[in-house]
Amino acid sequence: MQKLGYDKPSFGTILALVFTFVAFCPFAAATEVVVNKSVSASYSKADIRAIFIMQKRQWPNNRQIKVYTLPDNSPIHKDFAINILNMLPYQIRKIWDRITFSGTGVAPIELESEQEMIDKIATTPDSIGYLKSRPDNDSIRPFEVQ
Amino acid sequence: MFGVIFRTSSIPGGRRQLFGVIFRTSYILGGRRQLFGVIFRTFYILGGRRFLLGHCPMDAPVRTRRKDNEWCVQLVNRAGQLLATCLFIAFYSAKVFAESKLLPDEVQIHGFLTQGFFHTSDNNVYGQSDDGISPGLTEIGLNMSYQPWDRLRFAAQGLYRRAGEVDTGSVRLDYGLADLTLFDYDSGKIGIRGGRIKIPFGLYNETRDVAFTHPTILLPQGIYFDRSRSLLLSADGGSFYAEQRTSFGDFNFKFNVGLSPNDLDEIKTVVLGKRSARGNFDTKPAIATQLNYELNGGEYVFAISYMDLEFDFNPALGEPLRKSTTHIQPLLFSAQYNGEKFTLTGEYEYRWNSFGNFAPFGGGKFVSESWYVEGSYRILPSLQATVRYDTFYVDASDKSGNGAAALGFPRHVAFAQDWVFGLRWDITPSWMVRADYSRVHGTAWLPQADNPDTQKDIQDWDLYGLQLSFKF
Repeated sequence: MQKLGYDKPSFGTILALVFTFVAFCPFAAATEVVVNKSVSASYSKADIRAIFIMQKRQWPNNRQIKVYTLPDNSPIHKDFAINILNMLPYQIRKIWDRITFSGTGVAPIELESEQEMIDKIATTPDSIGYLKSRPDNDSIRPFEVQ
Repeated sequence: MFGVIFRTSSIPGGRRQLFGVIFRTSYILGGRRQLFGVIFRTFYILGGRRFLLGHCPMDAPVRTRRKDNEWCVQLVNRAGQLLATCLFIAFYSAKVFAESKLLPDEVQIHGFLTQGFFHTSDNNVYGQSDDGISPGLTEIGLNMSYQPWDRLRFAAQGLYRRAGEVDTGSVRLDYGLADLTLFDYDSGKIGIRGGRIKIPFGLYNETRDVAFTHPTILLPQGIYFDRSRSLLLSADGGSFYAEQRTSFGDFNFKFNVGLSPNDLDEIKTVVLGKRSARGNFDTKPAIATQLNYELNGGEYVFAISYMDLEFDFNPALGEPLRKSTTHIQPLLFSAQYNGEKFTLTGEYEYRWNSFGNFAPFGGGKFVSESWYVEGSYRILPSLQATVRYDTFYVDASDKSGNGAAALGFPRHVAFAQDWVFGLRWDITPSWMVRADYSRVHGTAWLPQADNPDTQKDIQDWDLYGLQLSFKF
């Protein structure tokens, strides 16, 4: 007979715990802002925020910035919002919803997974996004913050 | 468009078959996600009721309808069901399409769908809510943005709305615009928009029908009137905008000039106190301008908004009302703090009114005043509790309603003070449910279409609301 018990946490539970830890522990933060290799500029933290809240729309060479993000409930997104943008996820969502539903702008394109982010940034010129750690891909490079 | 619906729905044999097919299709679509199936059925039933009721030759509400116009009610119900079905299928297809990755990055599709339920101790909001539960508020929005080149973007949003007797179910173009960036420099940009543009007013007006963008079901009604909403929604014209980022915050300025669409049925209610007035309103080009200042990515938000609205009333032949002009100029100050746990919001409106001299309120100049203070606390990142105190005086120099009493109206039409308690749960990034309780003192914002006899309105009443919303 199968024994019912709670002594052995499932893989999912452990994963959830680890993600929660990663999302709320500032020391574990390693989220990296990345760009396609075609992007040459380096920027300040304020510029990164302006790019992701869709205020700054062009690179210095006048090419349009292509912004990619992960879902609001993704741990990487939460870490990125809090530690890189210094904003809360709900504040960013508020700004994106306001521009999307009033017709005054466009929100970033939301991708489903980190792998999709790697593929997208690698293949899209002028693109910017973020990953859990430094990418191992020739077409992607970390975005330098001064 | 309504003509098409009527014709389609009045084909006797084909009609049932058509519905069969649509029903089965939507069941297959909904099969994977049962919730969508349930929602569709709700819309199907709700969409039929009361839709286009004004087109039937009767004055009585649906529940007391007479036999003479049974055929018309039937037809209207069918037309409403067809419209709700088409909208739902369109919404679902758009959702599937937007998530299918078939779209190029230059095109974005988004939508939302909201259903509200209301119960009141007295007075009616969004349908028959007194002594019952009214499912009277439905909103479905679909928008698309297309950017053919870096500096030019097109955007449009269609909105279906059903709101009690005020709006018995209609589709409108909420916005449809071309946006041209004139200058894009390192710390800001300047541009123009043309077409049908949302009116910037206060913190919420541009997205007032998108449930996700505000904390409680009902926005503070003293400022974001629902019953005279068509003046505040969007205007056909142009807009100039400028954004400037500085080391001490971001500035955003908008200056809009445009004509409100002329479907001012609710305005008749507000201004004339009578929906049956046969004359019509002519809106003049209105100005709406806003200066917005945000610190630290929206942690602190401050805004000043001003509007200048003008419209003429042209009486129908033989009507005992006079031709006259009405002028409304609201000035609104907004402030908000968005912290990790707390959000504090306050807005104060001072509104100059110069009403034309038509019956029955008579003419006159007066100043309306409204403000609210709202606090929200995030118990969990996805669970938010909100408390709001909201006050509104139609005439700030006559807070007890002496003028209304002199004209034979109850005093409580002159004011409204609301205490609102709300709980919002964001189940997933796409689904949200919330519940509100309001204790209201006064009837100043009560829609007359839902409450035809002002004399029967009750001064102190309770309002309970439940709302489910989805977005993608």
